[in-house]
Amino acid sequence: MDGTTEVVALVGVGILLTALYLQSESFVDPLIRAIALQSLLLAGLLGWLAWTEQSVDLAILAGLAVAVRALFIPYVLRRQIRAFRWRARELHAAHRVTGHALAAVALAIISWFVFQQTLASVFPEPGAALPFVLLVQGLLMLATRSNTIVQVIGYLEEENAVVYAGALFAQAFPLFVEVVVFLDVLGVVLVAVILSIQRDVTGTPEEAALEELSG
Amino acid sequence: MIAADPPFLLFLLLASPSAASILALVPDARVSETAARVGSLVSLGAALLLLASAVSGRWGAYLGVDPLSEVFLFMVTGIYSTSVWYSRSYLRAVHRPFLTPQVYYALLSAFAFSMVAVLVVTDLGLMWIGVEATTVASALLIVLERKPASVEAAWRYTLIASAGLTIALFALLILYTATGTLDGFALAANHPAVSLPIEMAVALALVGYGTKVGLFPMHTWLPDAHSEAPSPVSAMFSGVLLPTALYAFLRVYNVLPDPAPALVSNLLLAFGIVTALVAAFLLQRQRSFKRLLAYSSMEVMGLAVIGIAIGGIALYGALVLIVAHAFAKSAAFYCAGNVLRTTGTNRIDQVRNLRETMPRTGVAWVVSAVAVTGAPPFGTFLGELLIVVGALAAGLVWVAGVLVVAILVAFLGVNSQIGRMVFGEPTGGSATPIAGPDSGWGLAYLNLAVALAIGVAALPYLSTGLRAAAVLLGGSLP
Repeated sequence: MDGTTEVVALVGVGILLTALYLQSESFVDPLIRAIALQSLLLAGLLGWLAWTEQSVDLAILAGLAVAVRALFIPYVLRRQIRAFRWRARELHAAHRVTGHALAAVALAIISWFVFQQTLASVFPEPGAALPFVLLVQGLLMLATRSNTIVQVIGYLEEENAVVYAGALFAQAFPLFVEVVVFLDVLGVVLVAVILSIQRDVTGTPEEAALEELSG
Repeated sequence: MIAADPPFLLFLLLASPSAASILALVPDARVSETAARVGSLVSLGAALLLLASAVSGRWGAYLGVDPLSEVFLFMVTGIYSTSVWYSRSYLRAVHRPFLTPQVYYALLSAFAFSMVAVLVVTDLGLMWIGVEATTVASALLIVLERKPASVEAAWRYTLIASAGLTIALFALLILYTATGTLDGFALAANHPAVSLPIEMAVALALVGYGTKVGLFPMHTWLPDAHSEAPSPVSAMFSGVLLPTALYAFLRVYNVLPDPAPALVSNLLLAFGIVTALVAAFLLQRQRSFKRLLAYSSMEVMGLAVIGIAIGGIALYGALVLIVAHAFAKSAAFYCAGNVLRTTGTNRIDQVRNLRETMPRTGVAWVVSAVAVTGAPPFGTFLGELLIVVGALAAGLVWVAGVLVVAILVAFLGVNSQIGRMVFGEPTGGSATPIAGPDSGWGLAYLNLAVALAIGVAALPYLSTGLRAAAVLLGGSLP
């Protein structure tokens, strides 16, 4: 096993563990720290690949991953918790932790299996299914959580899956495209945060207010 | 054909909405409105010249146009222009708006810019960025009226659309790894050999972009966002945002040779059929007239996807339907905006007798309802007819049957509800209170005229462009 294979395997295990942890934690602050750690692991992988392949493009992406995903976005999200303290815990999720964790493990196994059946011929590397597994984990989080910050974290996990896949398989993905994708994600998160603030200002929509969203 | 300088026109198409977006931020509201109006008209002029010149080609590494993008550019800039001009009367009626007029016009132009960008790039990665940017630019526009329901709708839109688009980005990554390029024009000219990963990439792109197109079951953001957004923005959502997302998918789909592998075309057909049927039946139980229009758009997107899946003459029908629907549906949303701001309600059962209280809007409202549901002689009728004929020609009799059912159910649902609003007698003997003059109807009539002209082939350059676009995608002509 060469150095790169070992690093890829180690980062893969770390990312899988953070993904499963994200599903089973109901406090929001540790969730933000976990998504920052996951982004940092990805940045480490990008940095390692940049160093071994002497790639400036990958080095730029590693720097962007640290600046945007591991530092800036978690900073913005943590400020949100400080401003609205009741968001620190997602109450509805607290009693469903076991169910979430079990569903996450089951989905991880299923998505791994689907990947092996459909895409393994193009991506034969060991651990190639992990980005796909991570993508599905992000979708699960988006679908099952109600806290707005946690939903943003689910979206970030999905985006991390794409960066992870890009690092493993498509290292020649045009730098320009990758950089703009990073900025686009930043835009989505900022819009989400503005809406989330507005949601707090207008209050949790009551049944009467949401009646016009039914039918 | 007329002579034109394509690189300059592309520059104008990109520069005018982006300059309008920046200039709109100046402190004077009148200047920002004027900037948006001028920017929209310049972009429409450039799109018209490009359509009339009928040039195809690429300029630089990432820019290029062909008949398909030219037709869509005309549609996007056309609806952008009318929505900008319609906005003044609508904004006046909004109390305590979440956005200042400057920010509103800046975001509206940025929204248009992102759609134009999708249509003039050749790289599928940049196209994805453009589609994602439409979410960033448009999400805050939904909150203009500062209601809890509109914040909730914007939130759902942002999260669901972005999550879906991440799947589309994953699809592009698989495609890139399998083919070594994301150049959509090059991949369409030299189709890569069909393999399971490429089919998987197209299928994932269908799910990803399908979220933004409003395909069932990823459509849940659509009725909320369309009904809660201000009417000029709803017009852009229904008329051009959904087709722009479909365009991005079409570029990925076009990577496959013609005819497409059965796995993908059957998946596309299934999504289209379920979407059209679900939307047609769901719109029967709507209480808000804007949600009624939103489900109608979803039904039309389902029909268009069916046409694309069948190919041949049905593909041409799908393109005609998309363009005619854009103009008819935007007219319907302008009428909905007039009714909403003068009656103060979006409830169907609370609005009656518009033929007397708002006669000009009332007539346009009925005509646009008829137009969006595919009545002759509008372009929507021609499009739907060609899709049904295409299904029969392909031997898919049961699909033709399903199409007819969806079209009829949607026709009856939309027209009976809107008919009651216009011709129905007020319950309890009192007419719906009207809080302002019957204005803002001119743009609705203008767009209805375009939808009508498409149906009778009275727009020569557009007709030529639509036919060339269909041939480009592997379709056939009547």
